[in-house]
Amino acid sequence: MTTTAPAPTTGPSSVGGEGLPIARVDNLAVSFDNGRGPRIQAVDGVRMTIYPRQTLAVVGESGCGKSVTAMSMLQLVPRPPGRFDRGNIWFDSAEGPVDLLKLSNRQMRSVRGNDIAMIFQEPMTSLNPVYTVGDQIMEAVLLHQDVSHKEAYDLAIKAMSDVGIPEPHQRIKAYPHQFSGGMRQRVMIAMALACRPRLLLADEPSTALDVTIQAQILELLVELKATRDMAVMLITHDLGVVAENADVVCVMYAGRVVEYATVFELFADPMHPYTRGLLASIPKLHERTERLVTIKEVVDNEAEFRKLPGADKGVRPWWPWHDAPADLKARDEPAGDYYLQEVRPGHWVGVWRTEAVADHESGPPDLAFRKVDSETTA
Amino acid sequence: MTTYIVRRALIMIPTLIGMTFLLFMLISLAPGDFSMALSVSGGGQMEASSRAATIAYYEDRYGLNDPIIVQYGRWLGRISPLKFGVRDQRTDKGELVRPPREVRKPALWKLFIDDLPNPPPPDLEAFAPGQEPARVYRLSANDYARTRTTYLSAATRFEVEAGRVLREQSLDKFVADDGRLDGAKPAGFEGFLFTTQRLPSEAVEALKADPDVERTFGAAVTAYTNALASRNRIAASFATKPHPEAGMPLIPRLVWLGKPDFGISVSRSRPVGALIAEALPVTLLLNAIAVPIIYFVAIPSGMLAAVRQGTWFDIASGALFVALWSVPIVWACVLALGYLANETTGLGLFPVIGLHSDDADAMRFLPSFAGGWRAGFLLDTLHHCVLPVACLTYAGFAVLSKQTRAAMLDNFNADYVRTAKAKGVSEKDVIFRHVFRNSLLPLITMFVTIFPAMLGGSVIVERVFSVPGMGSLLIDAIYLRDREVLLANAAIVGMVNMFALLLADVLYAVADPRISYK
Amino acid sequence: MSKEAPTERAPTSDAITGVHLMQGIGHQPTRGFWTEAWADVTRRPAAIAALGWLSLVIFFGAFAPFIANGHPLWVHDTETGDLSSPLVEHLSAVDVLLAAGLVVALALWFAPVPIEKQTRLRMLFFGSLQAGCSVLIAMVIDGYFGARDAPDFARQFEQTKLYKPIAAAVAGLTPALIAATILMLLRLGWHAVAAVVLGLVLGGVLHQRWDDPPDVYDYAPRAAQGEIEAVYTLIPFGPQQGETSLDLRQPGRSTLAAVIDGVVTEAAKRKGGGGFADDPRFQRKDRSPNGVSMSTVAFDDAVMEDLRAHLEFARPILREAPEDMAAQAEQLRASGELRTLADVARWLEGDDAPRFIVGTDSLGQDALSQLIHACRLSISVGLVSTSIAVVIGVTIGAIMGYFGGKIDLLLYRVVEIFMSMPVLFLLIVAAAVLPRNTYMMMIIIGCVTWTGAARFTRAEFYKLRDQDFVQSARAAGLPLWSVLFKHMLPNGVTPVLVDASFAIASAILAEAVLSYLGLGPANQASWGKLLSDATNQVGNFVWWLAIFPGLAIFLTVLAYNLIGEALRDAIDPRRKKARV
Ligand SMILES: Nc1ncnc2c1ncn2[C@@H]1O[C@H](COP(=O)(O)OP(=O)(O)OP(=O)(O)O)[C@@H](O)[C@H]1O
Ligand SMILES: [Mg+2]
Repeated sequence: MTTTAPAPTTGPSSVGGEGLPIARVDNLAVSFDNGRGPRIQAVDGVRMTIYPRQTLAVVGESGCGKSVTAMSMLQLVPRPPGRFDRGNIWFDSAEGPVDLLKLSNRQMRSVRGNDIAMIFQEPMTSLNPVYTVGDQIMEAVLLHQDVSHKEAYDLAIKAMSDVGIPEPHQRIKAYPHQFSGGMRQRVMIAMALACRPRLLLADEPSTALDVTIQAQILELLVELKATRDMAVMLITHDLGVVAENADVVCVMYAGRVVEYATVFELFADPMHPYTRGLLASIPKLHERTERLVTIKEVVDNEAEFRKLPGADKGVRPWWPWHDAPADLKARDEPAGDYYLQEVRPGHWVGVWRTEAVADHESGPPDLAFRKVDSETTA
Repeated sequence: MTTYIVRRALIMIPTLIGMTFLLFMLISLAPGDFSMALSVSGGGQMEASSRAATIAYYEDRYGLNDPIIVQYGRWLGRISPLKFGVRDQRTDKGELVRPPREVRKPALWKLFIDDLPNPPPPDLEAFAPGQEPARVYRLSANDYARTRTTYLSAATRFEVEAGRVLREQSLDKFVADDGRLDGAKPAGFEGFLFTTQRLPSEAVEALKADPDVERTFGAAVTAYTNALASRNRIAASFATKPHPEAGMPLIPRLVWLGKPDFGISVSRSRPVGALIAEALPVTLLLNAIAVPIIYFVAIPSGMLAAVRQGTWFDIASGALFVALWSVPIVWACVLALGYLANETTGLGLFPVIGLHSDDADAMRFLPSFAGGWRAGFLLDTLHHCVLPVACLTYAGFAVLSKQTRAAMLDNFNADYVRTAKAKGVSEKDVIFRHVFRNSLLPLITMFVTIFPAMLGGSVIVERVFSVPGMGSLLIDAIYLRDREVLLANAAIVGMVNMFALLLADVLYAVADPRISYK
Repeated sequence: MSKEAPTERAPTSDAITGVHLMQGIGHQPTRGFWTEAWADVTRRPAAIAALGWLSLVIFFGAFAPFIANGHPLWVHDTETGDLSSPLVEHLSAVDVLLAAGLVVALALWFAPVPIEKQTRLRMLFFGSLQAGCSVLIAMVIDGYFGARDAPDFARQFEQTKLYKPIAAAVAGLTPALIAATILMLLRLGWHAVAAVVLGLVLGGVLHQRWDDPPDVYDYAPRAAQGEIEAVYTLIPFGPQQGETSLDLRQPGRSTLAAVIDGVVTEAAKRKGGGGFADDPRFQRKDRSPNGVSMSTVAFDDAVMEDLRAHLEFARPILREAPEDMAAQAEQLRASGELRTLADVARWLEGDDAPRFIVGTDSLGQDALSQLIHACRLSISVGLVSTSIAVVIGVTIGAIMGYFGGKIDLLLYRVVEIFMSMPVLFLLIVAAAVLPRNTYMMMIIIGCVTWTGAARFTRAEFYKLRDQDFVQSARAAGLPLWSVLFKHMLPNGVTPVLVDASFAIASAILAEAVLSYLGLGPANQASWGKLLSDATNQVGNFVWWLAIFPGLAIFLTVLAYNLIGEALRDAIDPRRKKARV
């Protein structure tokens, strides 16, 4: 992809250079304490990269570990019960590349809200009910920028009007309960963007809202992304949102990445049966179909698993419900039976680590693709 | 905000009335005449008729032979600052003068005559010629007291005779314990609304036939007529307003504002209001010291336990809280008294009795060093307060600490805390600015639980440490069977409690922006 | 890599993924909600200890008459050779029912029969409810007919032979027949038969034990006379058995301490002046309560005279006739074995004299016996009054929450009225004016403390009201009580039941406070009453009456609170969230 010398695919120097990603999640595994039962492995060997000005969409069914991945980037996973089992998250911070998982509390605080901001799933409860929204936005500003109270106030007003909250001068003194859900999410966005972060983690920013508001919020995000020059990790269930906004798509299942490709590639040629099931299960406007295919129908079909390039050599999509193939050559480490293999240039699929894979292991997923770039070149 | 408080206070009024009603009914309907037990406790030795006379006197004095609803209404009217009807008057000695009550008609009078005789209209000029109104009033009051007592004893004599006849007829259920005709006074639930019972016809015949009954009835009627005449006279005298009127009129002739009147204590022969005015500040003082202590100690320890969740401090303090919370307050008081205050069996560190030393009146307020150390009134009082306050606080402290910890832990996992962390707020600020500020709300609510419990606890504390507060007053009233004090005490405590709850509500409304005042 | 069955595929690490969970790996087998909660509770050492203590208290409560009783277990009449058991003769119906009930309950619980635990629990609950009703009815009947001011016909009827059987039958069978009718209507024939059988048994016991024979503790003198030989229970004192000469004995002293004290006092009096107490030489360890060092007082003729007099006085509690003992003492003095008062004391008390292990109260009644008998009051007041409060509270709360609107507004005013008074004040006032017996106490506490349950239930029902299963139950045209109590209650009662444990604790505290203030049940041993003897107006402090009853209340309240805490943690949905 690059003309210069290939950059290392792991380690601190894998981020932050010219043409290098802003953040790289490398073999992340997070588990949770489960009382008497065994620990729950919420995330198990996830890899992904995010480039500046890129939108990385993370999709997958509920409980597959999307939020945990995002929250790991800010060390927001509650510990205990949570625990980082292994992996790194390299990030290109102001002081050079750092591993977000290894930062001390103090260092982490200067990253949070400043370099990386996050918007949460639940706008109704994510704002502190006893402070005015102005207080809450200003708190973020005052923390990270060396400004006076008055300037922070102005910045907060500015942030509020940027996200389209009408009459910010009045609304800044209002309490969260006086806002509607959509407006609260706007406040959240204003708060997140007040310090001009370079990476925004948007965890289903629109799921809890009704459809028209959803569209507004997403439009707002796209618009802000364009003006602010930041990367966005967009977590969502909605493939329509993905198709419209994402540059690169990461499909997760049961704590692992099953497919990783550019949005065009993925929609044109989904390779993992689960992805195919996902895509098949959304209605398409222009095709007349008798009825929708469910995900289950696709993944229950054995034949679907034999369509991968290299299937003849024994490359099989990883699928936890299946038994491992006979020629599995698992690494002696957790999640060693699985590998995120680049089955075609620029297209990674989670496969069983069979002999065929073990012999030709590819690099980790790494896509600098941006829709805007391709549109301008086209 | 003001409208909120006013509205909230208005809601209190029906509750207040309901509460006093509950209390009044409880005390009045309970089997055994609470109010008269003391006064008649001469019991067996007292001769039956004089016993009956004493009872009759108390019934008359407290209006006990009216239906209970009427008694309640009268009591409520007395204690309410808002009063209806003719205004009371106040003599220059400060005594309150009320319009005279009705004279009760003789029992069963309809059996004997068709109409009770009507006395002639009162003539004040003829009664006390040329006297000034206040003196006329005094004279007629004396006269009224005399005639009324005469009538009471005549009526009692009649009722005892009638009771005897009914007993002979084996109609014991119409005869009260004291030998009088029953049905004149409320007893148990029958007395709730109606006070007369129907007699069977043969009993009526027997009553009419008995010469003694006939004779005593005649005497009673004569005495009744006299009493009624006297009563009409005093009413007329009262109407001339011999004394200045008490209170403040709101709607002339209908509604006026006056001082609540809690009656006279039977056991101490003093106005109940004065007794309460002495006792209430004591109890309030104890609680006013205890409540802030509870909050100032419990909140930091609860917060610390929450922040250090799972550490030995958390576990140890949790165990301590449960243990403290389970210590019966009676036990705590007794142990404190025996081991800390008592000089022979314990350390003798604190005074055993009361709130002040004997010579407290002679003390200066502040400690003085001139000519040797003297503690002074303030320190002396505080020294006396240590044990009572400690016994009052420990349980509330434990409850509140636990609650603080729970509330903090609840909020640690709240979404907005995650938001704050994602903004980069430091751990300390998250705890103090975000978590604690939100945990404050349930802590204010806790006041609603803690304060009544402390008021209740002060009964025990005051009793054990002989502190002359509301609790001691209540227990004394119970042991001395002093109904007026019991009623007033319980009602006042209820009101204090309700005002405290109101305060908590208002505080909550201030602290939580989500409560709208509209 | 061999092929494995999917369910056997072990997680790669010690952790499991969502897929494993879906495959059923890592799932804990689901048991009933309460079973699981209970299992959580019993995993805590503190809760286990609490349960242990409560079992002990229940055991003592149920078997108190068999552990501490002034009536001997066996009496052997030396003349006729008859064996009799005054203890059994003096058992009241409640004593019998409690002891037998506990045995039956334990047997039923652990019996190896194929009945589900839940069914057994239900049987026990309804059985004890029925028994309780029968006892209450019997008490009411007895109270009416036996009252001093009872109407003539009642008094006459009470004298007839028929009174006892009829009264016992009414008391035993009324609840049984009501229960049987309801059960028949519910088509539970066998249960109805069981209820009737239980009713017959209850009637029989009540008839057998209708009147309590008066307590006369004359066994010691009779034994001293050689008329009988008596075998006592572990603690040979009844809770109400006091001799005026025995007031306030310290722990460990024997019943004969009074004799010694009397003799010592006489000796001190004879010495004149301030007595021995002022003499510093006598301030030694073995001094008697009046400060006399007994080993310094010689056993002379004067002491012998005193001893004789006091032995005569103490005749009812001596193990031999006083004359014989005096003669013995004389002999031993002659042989030089008894030289000082201390020797006399040692000889007199012997090793086998019954001792007050934790002392006596100010009436000379054994404290330990009272402590044991008071277990019953504490446990029963806690349970029954809380049940009353829960029944009232849940009913009113359910109505408030379900209907909402005006009914809610109105009933909530009632709740507010009850909450406007501090509970303890209301309790004290009510207890002061109402009759003083155990049942009234339970009713008072229950009727004053129901507001908590009402508020919990109201909130729960408010939430449940709009849920689908309630809507469908309503749509199916089920009667209101069925919707409220069969469909909604099981889902809404959890917070009430968790709170009940704390409510029991505070009911026990309330009982202790009322008894302390002298407003408790009359003629009934109570920890609070015992505690109230620890201090008095004169400023004395009796440590054993402060420590032991206080500790008993504290531990029982603590036990309930610990169980409540454990239960609350076990049920707390926030702690369950992590679990899948
Ligand atoms: N605090 C926690 N304690 C225990 N387990 C947790 C916790 N947070 C997440 N998990 C577990 O981690 C797994 C992944 O959760 P995550 O929130 O990342 O899902 P998600 O993909 O964001 O789902 P959704 O689309 O519903 O938001 C879940 O199975 C959940 O059980
Ligand atoms: Mg999520």
